[in-house]
Amino acid sequence: MNYSDLAGRLAQIGERIARHSEKLEGEILGRSAGKLASQLDRFEEHLESHLASRKSRELFLENLLRSPASKRHLTIALLKRASREVGGKRLKSEDLAAAKREFIHLVHGAGKQDQAVQFLKEVFAEAVHVESGGKEKTLLQREFINLGQLLDEDFAKEISARSIAELRRVAAVNGIRFTDKTNRQRLTTLIRRYAQRAAFNVPAARVASSD
Amino acid sequence: MSSKVLAFINFKGGVGKTATVVNIAATLAALHEKKVLIVDLDPQSNSSLWLMRPDRWREHVARGRRSTFQIFDDALQGKNRFDFDEALVKGVITWTGLTDLPRLHLLPAALELLRIEDRIHELRPSAIYQILDSALGMQFKQYNYVLLDCPPNLYSTTKTAIFSADSCIVPYVPDYLSLSGFQVLAEQVTEMREKFAPYLPGRRRPNIGALIVSHYRQTGNVFRLAVNELELSMAALREAGVLSEQTVLLQPYVRHCVRVAESTSEHLPVILYAPGSIGAQDYADLTQRFVDLFETKK
Ligand SMILES: Nc1ncnc2c1ncn2[C@@H]1O[C@H](COP(=O)(O)OP(=O)(O)OP(=O)(O)O)[C@@H](O)[C@H]1O
Ligand SMILES: [Mg+2]
Repeated sequence: MNYSDLAGRLAQIGERIARHSEKLEGEILGRSAGKLASQLDRFEEHLESHLASRKSRELFLENLLRSPASKRHLTIALLKRASREVGGKRLKSEDLAAAKREFIHLVHGAGKQDQAVQFLKEVFAEAVHVESGGKEKTLLQREFINLGQLLDEDFAKEISARSIAELRRVAAVNGIRFTDKTNRQRLTTLIRRYAQRAAFNVPAARVASSD
Repeated sequence: MSSKVLAFINFKGGVGKTATVVNIAATLAALHEKKVLIVDLDPQSNSSLWLMRPDRWREHVARGRRSTFQIFDDALQGKNRFDFDEALVKGVITWTGLTDLPRLHLLPAALELLRIEDRIHELRPSAIYQILDSALGMQFKQYNYVLLDCPPNLYSTTKTAIFSADSCIVPYVPDYLSLSGFQVLAEQVTEMREKFAPYLPGRRRPNIGALIVSHYRQTGNVFRLAVNELELSMAALREAGVLSEQTVLLQPYVRHCVRVAESTSEHLPVILYAPGSIGAQDYADLTQRFVDLFETKK
């Protein structure tokens, strides 16, 4: 059911009640009507506050604070910053849930819903920004494909010309997992294996990089 | 309204086309206050069934009339029976029994779409490409985003989607079978660009704008190596002129999350069904990157 279905239904019921109002009587119907009326009171209250435009911004702010983005990125430190920058006040709460409530209260009191929403949106946008690996990454990926195409002897020569730090960079950029304890020999084996795999799995890259 | 029309394509099945369409659309509507239209073009009707209870869907699309099937049937019969407003489903129904996400609209699919591919070749190829764009192009302008959920093939319905799109998005599961498929897919899209060009005067030809990794798992080397091979392949395809310089691999990668799978049975996007789950968080971050990609790059 959507809200226009509900509206249609209420209009229809209203009309029927009006048409038959003189015939309506008895305890069962009366009690049910009483319940409906008090439910309607509550519904009207929610409806009113939702329709007031400020209220819909309040609701959006509350949704944003409950959102998956908040769950991942919102810290108490950020909320304290938001509170200072948006509301000019310090938050007293020390746990996140309480701080959120305090923040909402403060923002609503100051009528700064729009600013608070904007602040949070910017914070969430910044939080997911990732640096692309840039040129360095592209070069190390190309090097990886090239290594994968070499015959054993040439590969050994290329590897021996590199420091362990350089080998680590090639491995790390190309998705090979290793630890601080992984020695040069093991790292060489891993690079050999996966670089060869990449060279035959991505034949287009092979052609492109060998010309 | 400046709208972005995006076709979610991959001829490999089960790679998360529908999951990305449904969950990015819902997140755009819920957290970014965007008006979003999902157009379900797959006879499997997966995005329709993700967002509608089956009884309600069956009733709504009875005989295919209030579904995307009618658009293609009209083109074949030379009729005009499709009515956008009647076919449109606004919002999703939550456990309260009432609708939520009023900014999210859906044009559902129907099983009758299965019959379209056999008959559609009665039309000229150029007439086929333009079916969706002619029927819905004007309506698309009411939305900030239009997401086209395509079937797992590159047949006619998908071609109409690519034709009407500003850009294509390729959901991708990191393994070798997807990798080999992607190289072919990129070539096919490039070929289509050439074929479409004469019919798209003054408009940008659709390209692959982004890849989205789905079903990611952080265990061990496996997925990192597979994503690296995808990046190597993308670089090579760029050099060969098959992919454009602008094509990006969007992050974060969407991880496998049981709440996402479960949300299909509840007929809700994961942001409504389990807003605290890893899945909802991954889609929230991904949607942010999506907005950055399409709204800052002008
Ligand atoms: N992040 C996720 N975590 C867990 N399960 C997922 C996730 N994303 C998708 N799925 C599940 O994986 C399956 C395939 O996903 P989906 O239907 O989105 O792929 P598709 O590419 O649209 O498939 P088709 O090619 O059939 O249209 C679905 O059953 C879905 O519930
Ligand atoms: Mg699908």
